Amino acid sequence: MKMKDGKKGGTYLVEDIRLEEAIMRRLQMLGMIQGTQVEILNKKHSALIFKVRGTRYAIGTAVAAGIEVKEVSGDE
Amino acid sequence: MNEQPMYVAFIGNPNCGKTTLFNAYTGANLKVANWPGVTVEKKEGPYAFKGQSFRLVDLPGIYSLTSYTMEEKVARQYIMGDEVSVIVDVVDASCLERNLYLALQLIEMGRPVVVALNMMDIVEERGMEIDLHRLPEVLGVPVIPVSARKKTGLDVLMHAVAHHGEAGREPDRLEHHHAKGEGHHHHDHHKDHAVVYSDDIEDKIDLLEERLLEKWPDMVNVRWHAIKILEDDEEVMRQHPIDTSDILERSYETDIINQKYDFIEEVVQECLFNKEAKSERTDRVDRVLTHTVWGIPVFLGIMALVFFFTFTVGDFLKGYFEAGLDILSGAVSGALEAIHVSPVLESLVVDGVIAGVGGILTFLPNIFILFLALAVLEDSGYMARVAYVMDGLMSRLGLSGRAFIPMLLGFGCTVPAIMASRTLENRRDRMKTILITPFMSCSARLPIYVLLSELFFGRYAMLAAYSMYVIGLAVAILVALVVHLIDRQSNSNRLLIELPEYKTPNGHTIAIYVWEKVKEYLTKAGTTIFVASLVLWAVMNFGPGGLVDAEHIGNSFGASIGHAVAPLFAPAGLGYWQIVLSLIAGIAAKEVVVSSMSILFGVSNVNSAAGMSAMAAGLGAMGFTALNAYAMMVFCLLYIPCAATIGIIRKETGSWKWTIFAIMFQLAVAYVMAALVFQIGSLLV
Repeated sequence: MKMKDGKKGGTYLVEDIRLEEAIMRRLQMLGMIQGTQVEILNKKHSALIFKVRGTRYAIGTAVAAGIEVKEVSGDE
Repeated sequence: MNEQPMYVAFIGNPNCGKTTLFNAYTGANLKVANWPGVTVEKKEGPYAFKGQSFRLVDLPGIYSLTSYTMEEKVARQYIMGDEVSVIVDVVDASCLERNLYLALQLIEMGRPVVVALNMMDIVEERGMEIDLHRLPEVLGVPVIPVSARKKTGLDVLMHAVAHHGEAGREPDRLEHHHAKGEGHHHHDHHKDHAVVYSDDIEDKIDLLEERLLEKWPDMVNVRWHAIKILEDDEEVMRQHPIDTSDILERSYETDIINQKYDFIEEVVQECLFNKEAKSERTDRVDRVLTHTVWGIPVFLGIMALVFFFTFTVGDFLKGYFEAGLDILSGAVSGALEAIHVSPVLESLVVDGVIAGVGGILTFLPNIFILFLALAVLEDSGYMARVAYVMDGLMSRLGLSGRAFIPMLLGFGCTVPAIMASRTLENRRDRMKTILITPFMSCSARLPIYVLLSELFFGRYAMLAAYSMYVIGLAVAILVALVVHLIDRQSNSNRLLIELPEYKTPNGHTIAIYVWEKVKEYLTKAGTTIFVASLVLWAVMNFGPGGLVDAEHIGNSFGASIGHAVAPLFAPAGLGYWQIVLSLIAGIAAKEVVVSSMSILFGVSNVNSAAGMSAMAAGLGAMGFTALNAYAMMVFCLLYIPCAATIGIIRKETGSWKWTIFAIMFQLAVAYVMAALVFQIGSLLV
């Protein structure tokens, strides 16, 4: 699923990032790489707030649409 | 004892407390300039410790050392240069994982690095523990725990810096081995480098190193260059072009980033305990401040409060300034008369300098409060949230929420606000933001509102002044919307911004920030406004027939200029030669509008009751009403902010054509809006 479709309060693992070079690299350097766990803290139609490696970021929906994630199931 | 200062560069992620740490050493004793060729701010300050003198250099806050942004390029060039002896990497210990990424890149560059592990107090507060013996072992560089906020560990850090600089660049003993199974790579790098990559990457690094050394036998830190070539780094590839077609099939940047983070995860696992301890406070605060519904009202409330304080507390303090100025003006006048100075010189000092410069100084309290408020918003961590909160509105204007930060800073001063637009994701957004930011009412326009609204709006003065901020914001939004509708291309929302932990603003950091701004204002009063006041005094007191006296001021050069242009401004209710002349003078700096009016109406202290009534009488005599005053406020709000703004627009856009367009556009908007206010108002009144 796309990160933009994630739920508020949900925890996900990053699977793939498909965005233009500059922004993709920036996300990678912040530690958003394959297998990284992210937690969506807040969400609205234009943007969302998430936490990765202990830091919070706000990203626009278009950015979140380029991040492929999978849900971490509750009993893991 | 060493006579030569040792250059120490401070580097770190944004929000890691680097500036607070830097300030803890240098205090307000700073030299602020720009890095050569770019408008990235460079701060430098002296420091002495145990007979060794240091020169501390504050590098821009960055997340990595690639060459994607101007800040990163500046930092990288400086670190690779000859001037710097030791690099202090300020690491936010409460956010170790991400901060270590930059640390590893720095260590890889092969220059002497000392890690300052900042925010140790927060780490302890949260019940986390960091293994301070193991961490330097795995990184191969000294790691010194400090707290910039509480000023602990500062001496130990400087001691390590002095020692590390002398010791040269030999890395400390590395005690880390993370071999994973059987590899085929024939070198063991674990004793020499903190980060060792996978075998196939290490193979390529070896090959590239060989090839680089063939061409540049004296190259220092070949490994770093090789890694950068693997990452397809533009700048290194340009400076050291080698044929790599047989070694590289693609960019290995993703692999290298991934493997650095793999290593970081190992380090964190070994050195950081109780990592899951949460930072609940920030989440609780964010539940209100970034609330989907309440976020915007809360923001508007905060801004209303900021301006309320600016006007009320500022005005209260201003009273004392005015009294002081009155005394000064009277004393100087008396003293000059007593020593029989020529009346022309007395007029120059009292009517020119004191009226012009002194009048402006009385607004210092308002401006002080405004910058204090902006500093608190910034330092507490709220400013970044505004980007998220306003993102919904901004995305409808085709901008990212981040563009709202320059706009907000524009309430303080347009010049740094336009510089802040650089953090925006793409050039199109940047240009748009640069176009609309000057409409945000900066502190230099405040004196105009305060003066005119107090003169004409009595008990509604504050409301009249408030309305300027709203009109400015509305015009900015409207312009952005129109531009967006014309050019439908930039529709995707590229917002990406870190939301730092909330913290109690640091008094020292804020004091230095506000002092910098106050100093700028005072300097402006002493230079631009001083010169403008002198020039204005001259054009008012001389005419084609030589010196003109006060009764025949209409014969002066100034009056002729004003008379020539005035009819053009009649539709906007500004068709008076004195008003036009002060508006022209106001291009130097907006405050000059006020100082010019003081000079034109012969008022030595515009804020005193006597000064006010003198100016009111002068304006009233020429038929200038409240409506004219409001039109003038609107015009001042929207026309070219100042010469410095023109300069920064030119610098940031890199184009005179664009700059001239921006100037003409602002003039046109100001004229049309003022004319609308005046014409519609005339029908109603």
